[in-house]
Amino acid sequence: MTTTTAPSLVDVRTIDKSFALKGGGTYLALQGIDLEIHKGEFISLIGHSGCGKSTLLNMIAGLDLPTEGTVLLDGEAVKRPGPDKMVVFQNYSLLPWLTVRENIALAVDEVMGKISSTERDALVQEHIDMVGLGPAASKLPLQLSGGMRQRVAIARALSIRPKLLLLDEPFGALDALTRGNLQEKLMQICNEHELTAVMVTHDVDEAVLLSDRIVMLTNGPGSNIGGILEVDIPRPRQRLEVVHHPSYYSLRSEIIYFLNRQKRVKQWRARPHQVVARHGLEKVNLDLGFLPLAASAPLAVAEAHGLFTKHGLDEVSLIREPTWRGIVDGLVDGTLDASVMPAGMPTWMTAGGHGGAPLPIVTALTLSRNGNGITLGRRLAEQGVRTVEDYRAYLKSHEREPHTMGIVHEASMHNLLLRYWLAANGIDPDKDVHLQALPPAQMLADLKDGSIDGYCVGAPWLDRAIRDGHGIAVAGDLAIWPGHPGKVLGVREDWAIAYPNTHIALTKAMLEACRYCADPAHWGELSELLSDRRYLGIKPELIRFSEASTDVDRGGPESESAVPHHLFFGEGLNRPSRTEHLWMMTQMARWGEIPLPRNWVEILERVCQVGVFSTAARELGLDAISYQRQGIELFDGLPFNADDPIGYLNAQTIKRDFSIAEIPLAPPRRS
Amino acid sequence: MVPTSSRRPGASISPLRWLTRSSGSWLPPLLGTGGFLLLWQILSSAGVIALPAPSSLFTEERTRTLIFYPFYDRGGLDKGLFWQTMASLSRVAQGYTLAALVGIAVGITIGLKPTINRAFDPLFQFLRMVAPLAWVPIALVLFQNNQPAAIFVIFITAIWPILINTAEGVRQIPQDYRNVALVLQMSSRRFFTKVLIPSALPYIFTGLRISIGLAWLAIIAAEIVMPGTLGIGFFIWDAYQQNYVGEIVLGVIWIGAIGLVLDRLMAWLQTRISPGQ
Repeated sequence: MTTTTAPSLVDVRTIDKSFALKGGGTYLALQGIDLEIHKGEFISLIGHSGCGKSTLLNMIAGLDLPTEGTVLLDGEAVKRPGPDKMVVFQNYSLLPWLTVRENIALAVDEVMGKISSTERDALVQEHIDMVGLGPAASKLPLQLSGGMRQRVAIARALSIRPKLLLLDEPFGALDALTRGNLQEKLMQICNEHELTAVMVTHDVDEAVLLSDRIVMLTNGPGSNIGGILEVDIPRPRQRLEVVHHPSYYSLRSEIIYFLNRQKRVKQWRARPHQVVARHGLEKVNLDLGFLPLAASAPLAVAEAHGLFTKHGLDEVSLIREPTWRGIVDGLVDGTLDASVMPAGMPTWMTAGGHGGAPLPIVTALTLSRNGNGITLGRRLAEQGVRTVEDYRAYLKSHEREPHTMGIVHEASMHNLLLRYWLAANGIDPDKDVHLQALPPAQMLADLKDGSIDGYCVGAPWLDRAIRDGHGIAVAGDLAIWPGHPGKVLGVREDWAIAYPNTHIALTKAMLEACRYCADPAHWGELSELLSDRRYLGIKPELIRFSEASTDVDRGGPESESAVPHHLFFGEGLNRPSRTEHLWMMTQMARWGEIPLPRNWVEILERVCQVGVFSTAARELGLDAISYQRQGIELFDGLPFNADDPIGYLNAQTIKRDFSIAEIPLAPPRRS
Repeated sequence: MVPTSSRRPGASISPLRWLTRSSGSWLPPLLGTGGFLLLWQILSSAGVIALPAPSSLFTEERTRTLIFYPFYDRGGLDKGLFWQTMASLSRVAQGYTLAALVGIAVGITIGLKPTINRAFDPLFQFLRMVAPLAWVPIALVLFQNNQPAAIFVIFITAIWPILINTAEGVRQIPQDYRNVALVLQMSSRRFFTKVLIPSALPYIFTGLRISIGLAWLAIIAAEIVMPGTLGIGFFIWDAYQQNYVGEIVLGVIWIGAIGLVLDRLMAWLQTRISPGQ
């Protein structure tokens, strides 16, 4: 219902708001807020407590004035409150000595002084009936339930026909059932009367249900608009039906991600952050990001076995994120020092794939290889889909249904391998199916309820579905590209330049942890360790490591008990490989995730910090593992020539219209 | 026809059963008061204390006359207890009304204007601490006359709780109500009558109720030291001078009873005027 052509009713122009503090000084609550609200729109303001969303609402209402900037209502600056921008307060604000009818009549008398008493009574009655409070009209507010009181407040607000309705957490204090009913009522009233409304809420579902646009505010001090989501669910909406709209969950998870991110930043800010230099290292207090995956084992080992401390990194905290997006944002805003990340992420971020300015990320260590696989849901298996040929036929015969497959991130090997595998088997990964990024831990639930056909994900989420009987493995990683890179250790380039010795120490600690993880004698212990709540928080028997075996090699129905085959350490396994990163860039360009960088030689040179790896390996006495692997060839036998990525791309039949562009990178410098 | 008790329990209960059922509420105060009187009776009969026993109020002639003939009037100050009380009450009424009017008006002003509050608060807090009796000489100097001086003492004693509670009530008007008034752009007059007064009313009444007790305390004190005035206070003083101990006891009981009635009256008024709050 967003009417972008309509003139804006409210125009919030770069407003700042600061409050004087008791002990002197000021607190900057809001900074640089710009927002246009069109006639007939329903806007929600969402954010954590204390982010200034109510302050923003009060400034639109005129109850509070901005320190800088102006709020325009119909082109006029808002200087004081008035009935044209009526507020519904969270705690109802009814006058307790007046009955329901008198409360509404008071507002009508104040605002519409000129009308006759019959007209007035009719107007009051109309609004009492609108919110369905006829029988309670002569009662005092204290005799009513919370939900009924809020209905009176809404009726009072609407009875004076405001241009703009402002709601400050109107349903916050109500029980879930009442809240649901009132939301529907409000939505219905807003639709019928084409109201323009701004609502402050902290309820994600409420925001999605009611709004045309959701304005997400970052945490203070200096809160601003972190993002605006358009809700494209058609009206009229029904509370129980909107959840089935395809956008519902993505909007919901977008908001929840945003709020979690804000919380994380707040927690990070609450801790002291001065750089602690010690033992000849520039920084020994590190925040390292990871996701709950078996491939994060080296990180857990390094922490549990004191390998960080051994190499001088005394104050390392591990930060668990639910999605890779959290890792990307953590690196962008500098709340993470380093992170376990999908192998494609360093080049992807360096090429600006995350949507911001290109952010050079470097890697000096490949942490794991393999450990991925493609799983299809039991629903498909029951219809006889056991191989990729079956799946292709199935897609042909079920063209009308949406077919979604889960990936963890666009820059992860899962995406690239799944796309490569689908395309090599004649399935277009964008046209025939839809690939959606989902948190790894959520994939199993989605597979169970049938909302996705299958997924490509790392252990333990890969093998769990198979063991639990919710899916079958159609292709193990060994069947696509044996020994493909899985996760790497990534840091910002400016960080690596600022803390070179710390970078080497971190690489040493992790490389040593990788060596530990690679020993089959330690796998039982690794499962126990990772099952801890701080890492994966699932039963140890669900986290398994194994040697390469023929079942995983082949994939397919025989491998129903497939156990992923992780490689953590070995000759040529850990050294960052320019060829591999180039292959990944080529694949990301093939699917339009990033343009193919014309300056790929420069990017590879900067991303792959082979020197750091070599120093770390030498200092650990592990020179032997520095052997460089050569040549990449996947299951379809098409060789990859690192000197001619464009020729390789052109040789692929299924691809997007890829572009080739120079990635503008600032020269390497410290932050 | 006798209504069946199964249908409407309580409606058909006999008075005796009602008394037995509600004994929890009337028995303890009865036992407490009765016990106290009994103890008093025993102690004075045994000669442990010099006060006459409660029973002597009825046996002694002077007090019996006072109890049974409250309306007698022999001219001068020799009048029945009713007339004594009325004289005291009328003084209380005048001083208290004045205190209520000034107290509420000033209370609202300082409640609304923090600056004025800051200017006068130390003075008010100081004056509030001066005992009623200490005001008597000042009042006599100021007015040179018993009657207005007595009224002034009541006024100055009773005003503080009213003033302070009213100011607090105005300050405590929830921001929500103020916001409603702001958003509706209410005029000050309408805000005053529609929001301020109703909202502060419970506080004002608390002040009024505390003050009525204080006013009654003050009048006794004032009358005792103002010879030649008709009133229950001087009645006691006079009895003391003439060593009619029984009359003193009777006067004290009478004062307590009137104070209790006044307090209950205010409580009742409070529930009538601001119900549901």
